[in-house]
Amino acid sequence: MKKHLIELSLALSFILLFAPSALPLDGPEILKKVDANLQPESFESYRKLINIEPSGAKREFLLYTLKKGNDKIVSLFISPASEKGRATLRLGDNMWLYIPNVGKPVRITSLQSVVGGVFNNADIMRLDYNVEYDVQKIDEQKSEYVLDLKAKTAAVAYDKLKMWVDKKAVISTKIECYAATGLLIKTLYFKEIKPFEGVQRPSVIETDSPLYKGYQSIIAYANVKKKIVADEVFTLEFLGKIETIR
Amino acid sequence: MKYLHWNFSVRSRPSDKRCARFIRQLVLLSVLLPSSNLLSQEQPQDKGRFEIDLSELQKEVDKVADKPYSLGGFAEFQPTLLGIDRDSAASRARFYRSQPDNPFDQYNFRLRLQGSYKKDWFSMFFKTDTHVRNDFDGWDEDTTLFEAYASAKPNSSFIFEAGKRVMKWGKGYAWNPVSFIDRPKNPEDPEEALEGTTVATADYIRSFDGPLKTLTLTTALIPVYKYVNAKFGEPRQTNFAAKLYLLLYDTDMDFLVLTGSSRTTRYGFDFSKNLTTNLEMHGEFAVVNNLDKMAINANGQGFKTQSDALSQLIGLRYLSERETTYILEYYHNGAGYSRSQIKDFITFVDRSYRTFQNTGNDSGLARAAGLLDGPYGQPNFGRHYLYFRASQKEPFDILYFTPAITSIMNLTDASLTVIPELVYSPMTNLELRFRTPVVLGKNGTEYGEKQNDYRVELRMRYHFQF
Repeated sequence: MKKHLIELSLALSFILLFAPSALPLDGPEILKKVDANLQPESFESYRKLINIEPSGAKREFLLYTLKKGNDKIVSLFISPASEKGRATLRLGDNMWLYIPNVGKPVRITSLQSVVGGVFNNADIMRLDYNVEYDVQKIDEQKSEYVLDLKAKTAAVAYDKLKMWVDKKAVISTKIECYAATGLLIKTLYFKEIKPFEGVQRPSVIETDSPLYKGYQSIIAYANVKKKIVADEVFTLEFLGKIETIR
Repeated sequence: MKYLHWNFSVRSRPSDKRCARFIRQLVLLSVLLPSSNLLSQEQPQDKGRFEIDLSELQKEVDKVADKPYSLGGFAEFQPTLLGIDRDSAASRARFYRSQPDNPFDQYNFRLRLQGSYKKDWFSMFFKTDTHVRNDFDGWDEDTTLFEAYASAKPNSSFIFEAGKRVMKWGKGYAWNPVSFIDRPKNPEDPEEALEGTTVATADYIRSFDGPLKTLTLTTALIPVYKYVNAKFGEPRQTNFAAKLYLLLYDTDMDFLVLTGSSRTTRYGFDFSKNLTTNLEMHGEFAVVNNLDKMAINANGQGFKTQSDALSQLIGLRYLSERETTYILEYYHNGAGYSRSQIKDFITFVDRSYRTFQNTGNDSGLARAAGLLDGPYGQPNFGRHYLYFRASQKEPFDILYFTPAITSIMNLTDASLTVIPELVYSPMTNLELRFRTPVVLGKNGTEYGEKQNDYRVELRMRYHFQF
C-alpha cells in the first residue's frame, strides 16, 4: 500500500511539474512567443528595404536599426546617397523624422511613409505586436494558429490584424492588416527562416497591398545582434548622431 | 502693373520668344532626364516575383558596417526664368541702371559636399556649398563653409561640440521666431540647408520612465569677433544661449534663452504634440527685449526705435486618409514693419525713381537698394502671415512623385505668393523639382512690390556618395 502511495505521489508530482508545458498555449502567450521569435527585445540590425514596381523596376534602401525594450526604436538610412542621414525615432506612440538638411526632427505619424512604396512608418518602426494588440480570437488548425488581433488604442496604425502562426516554430507566416472600416490595407509574408543569435527567425518580410496593385515591398534582415544601449540614445538630441554610435 | 501679367505669352516680342525657347529647353530636359532611367541599374528586370539574394546583402552590410568615414553630397543644375515686374519698388531699386530682358533667364549650378569621420567617442563633420550663377549680369561664384565641427561623446548623457554648425531651434515649418542663433530660413524653401554659426555647445541628456520621458539641457557659447560670426551683432563679445527640452506627456517642449552683448536678451518657448495619429500641433513664442529697429519715412529720413518685440507662431500638420499632407501656420512677426512703414518705404523708392528719371540723381535709389539687401530685404518683413501647403504623396500610383501647392500671404495687405510644385525622383539619387512661384498683390503691398511677377524653375539634383 505504502509503495502504491509513493508511486502515486511521484506520478502526481511529475504531472504537476510538467503540466504547464503540456497545456495548449493561450492567445497572449502565443503572441509573446511570436514577438520573441521575430526579433529580440533589444538589438541592432541592418535592413534592406526594396520597393518593386509592376514593371519590375526596383529601388533599394539600406537602414541601420536599434531597438530597446517595448517602446524604443531608431532607424538610420545608410544608402542611397539621397536618403543618407535620414533617421526616424519612435518612443511609444511618438514618432519623429530627422532630415539632415532640415536639421530639426519633425513629428510624423505612423501611417506616413518615409520611403514611398507599400511599407509605412508603422511597418519600418514596428514595436512588438503584444505591446500594441490584444488577442480577440484564436483558431487552432492542424499546423497553425490563426489569431485575430485588435489594436489596444486608436493610436495604432492598423485597427485589426489576422495572424497565421506556424505551430511548431511559433513564428508568424502571414499577417493581414485591416483598417477600422474592415478594409484590407496590406498583407505581410514572413520568409527565409535563419538563425540570428541562436534563434530561428524570419529574415525576409514581403508585403503587397490591394491599394498598390502590382507593387511589392521587401524588408530583408542582416547582422541582427543583441545590443543594449543607454535610453538616452533614443532621444531627439541623438537622432542626428546615430551614425556616430553605429 | 502690379498684378500678375497673365498675358506674358504674347508672341510678337523678342523677349517672349526667349521665354518660349527657355520653356522648350526645360520641357526637353525634363523629358530627357527621366528617360535616362532606361540606362540605369533600375531598369525592369523581370515581371515575376522578386527574390532577394541574402548573401549579396550580407556582403553589402559587411562593407558599410565598420566604415569610419563618409563623403558625399549633391550636384545641382537649376535653370530659372524670371518675369520682372518693372513697376515694382524692388525692380526699380535694383535695375534702374541696367534693364535686363524681361523675362530673363538664369542658370544656377550648385555643388554641396559633406563628409564625416568617427573614431570611438569622437567624430567630425563638414559641409560646403559652392554656387555658380550666370544671368544678364555675367558669372558669379560663391563658396561657403556651411558647417565644420567636432563632436565628443564621453558617454550617452553628455555631448560636447565645437565649430561652425546650425542649431535648428524651433518647431515651425516656415518660420522659427525662437531660432535665436541661426540665420533666418527662406519660407519659400524652408527645407534648404543654412550656413551655420560658430559655437561651442554642451548637451546633457537624461531619459526617464513616467510622464517625463526625456530632458535635455543644451548650453552654447557664441563668440563674435572680426572673423568669427561677424554679422551676428556687436563684435568682441561672447554670448550665451541655453535650451531646456522636455518630452512631457507626449509633448515636445523647449524653453530657450539668448543673452550677451552682441544682441539684446531674448526668451522663447515652443511645443509640438500629436493630437491624433494624423494631426500635429506646434507653436513658438519669443520675446526680444529692447529691440532696435531702423525704418525710413516717405522722404527717406531714417529713424530708430527701441521696444520689446513679441513674436508668435501657431501651426497644424494634418495627414488625410488619401495621404495628402496639409501644413497651416500663422506667424506674428513682432519685429516686423507695420503696413504704413512698408508703404513709406515703397513711396520713398517711387520718389527716388522719379528723381532719378528727372535729374539723373540716383542717391535715393542706391540707398533703397542697400536697404533691400538689409532690413527691407528680410524674408517676410511685415507683421502678420499665413502659410499653407498641401502635398499629395504618390498620386495615380506614381511612386516617388509628389505634387504640392504652397501659399504665403501677408494678412495685413492681402498680398501673397502661390507656388505650385512637382517633385519626382525618376531614378535612385536623382530628384527633379519643377516650380512656378507667382506673386499676387496690389500697388504698395509686400508681394505686389516684389522684383519678379513669376519664376519658372526646374531643379535637377543628383546625390552621390563615395
